[in-house]
Amino acid sequence: MRTRAGMAAAARFSFFRSRWDTHKPNSTQPMSNQTQSFFTSLRCRECGREYPKNAIHICEFDFGPLEATYDYDAIRRHISRELISSRPKTMWRYREFLPIEGEPTVGLQVGFTPLVKANRLASRLGIKDLYIKNDAVNYPTLSFKDRVVAVALTRARELGFQTVACASTGNLANSVAANAASAGLRSYVLIPADLEQNKVLNSLVYGTNVIGIHGPYDQVNRLCSEIAGKYGWGFVNVNLRPYYAEGSKTMGFEIVEQLDWQIPRHTVVCMASGSLLTKIHKAYTEVIKTGLVQNPTSFHIHGAQPAGCNPITTAMKRGTDLIKPISQPQTIVKSLAIGTPADGYYAVHSMQQTNGHAEDCSDEEVIEGIRLLAETEGIFAETAGGVTVACAKKLIQNGIIPPNESLVLCITGHGLKTAEAILSHCGQPRLVRPSLREFERLLGDELIQQPTPVAA
Amino acid sequence: MAKQTSRYWLMFPAKLITRPIIYELGHKFPIVTNIRQASVNSEVGIVSLELEGEREDIKAAVAWLEELGVKVEPVEINTIES
Repeated sequence: MRTRAGMAAAARFSFFRSRWDTHKPNSTQPMSNQTQSFFTSLRCRECGREYPKNAIHICEFDFGPLEATYDYDAIRRHISRELISSRPKTMWRYREFLPIEGEPTVGLQVGFTPLVKANRLASRLGIKDLYIKNDAVNYPTLSFKDRVVAVALTRARELGFQTVACASTGNLANSVAANAASAGLRSYVLIPADLEQNKVLNSLVYGTNVIGIHGPYDQVNRLCSEIAGKYGWGFVNVNLRPYYAEGSKTMGFEIVEQLDWQIPRHTVVCMASGSLLTKIHKAYTEVIKTGLVQNPTSFHIHGAQPAGCNPITTAMKRGTDLIKPISQPQTIVKSLAIGTPADGYYAVHSMQQTNGHAEDCSDEEVIEGIRLLAETEGIFAETAGGVTVACAKKLIQNGIIPPNESLVLCITGHGLKTAEAILSHCGQPRLVRPSLREFERLLGDELIQQPTPVAA
Repeated sequence: MAKQTSRYWLMFPAKLITRPIIYELGHKFPIVTNIRQASVNSEVGIVSLELEGEREDIKAAVAWLEELGVKVEPVEINTIES
């Protein structure tokens, strides 16, 4: 649904668009001597009404989510591959496509993570041209959330916020805490009171204010919404959400640039709220719209979820955009366990528009996916990465991704963040006393099978 | 006490779709209900609803809805992310 439902989509409200001009802000404004801002307004994704560039996130008319819009004609005249490549290798080299008005001030080192040519994994999956976009090594907190937080906190500063906050159970909390600390912003992280201690530690260490809230998930969720509305805090995933969400696009821009300005034929993205998938779609669309990619071929974006919480893939497979909430997600992939995905409706539409598919996988397949990626490419992904690999494997096996077409897998976070999920699946070390004889007895034929290099 | 306005998405399961729950809500509690979007099919009903009233009355109204089996989410849907 727009969780909210096959709801009334944009067309139903189109007549309002022409009547709405009272809040239309000025278009482009000077950014600095070096850069211009091309960020023009916030716009309701449902009815198209425009809003000023403030800390707001919901359309007052129909409660639709607001999204940043840009002057693409001006970007097209201004931007070039050469200009981008002349800049430091961070996510900010695509600043014209981000909703800020001045120079970035938070998370200056974030992004431009490796795009790894994954030949060994490709061989195992039966495909020729495979890449891993590895945000498991994103700076500073080892997940793609650093991208969205960098944009949200930069915009928070521009809007004059002294305090930033989020409600999170993991990666987002860590990233807000770390980036706020480095920027000297006061921060609050709201968490369910029963969150595991190691996850809390990864936020506490940065000196943030961690508030544990007792009660069922739904009540905690509503309280966080109330707090965000009541106090003058920049809540990154509530009142700063239109800015925050745009940061995900940089993952898509980087993929395209790292492929020498080609859009991969297939991209597989894991889905929680579905936002990342929609923003990678938006990034691919924007590079075409602004001429950075010329003569593009068609591309397909596929979504992946764990079977224990798969409201978006279920809707997609049924051919509907009506997303039925999952009341009690049951999966080891906690970071994707969102039963009512806020951007699910839009994720379905992105997949449909690109002739993509949706796939889901069991927890066992998630573990297998994590191990396969680690053992073939030396990349340790969090459980969400296991979902991406496992679902890509199914899409290849089912012939949806042909073996001779390019494929990028988006890995969103480091495996150490969810190490407990795989702890009992990696075996144990073999033990030996400090004796060469015992060592040789233990390894036996393994030693014979490994010839000594000539140069040794 | 000052009145406040709260905004929610309500999701009705199939068994409750034919019941006039929002009408009942407005009579059972001293709050003003204002529907801003709605979509109903045979499987689920989804309504975006603004409630205006005393904070305690709104809380009681939400608790009543949940007791009936209606899922009540803030307009942001999920404020708690991973």
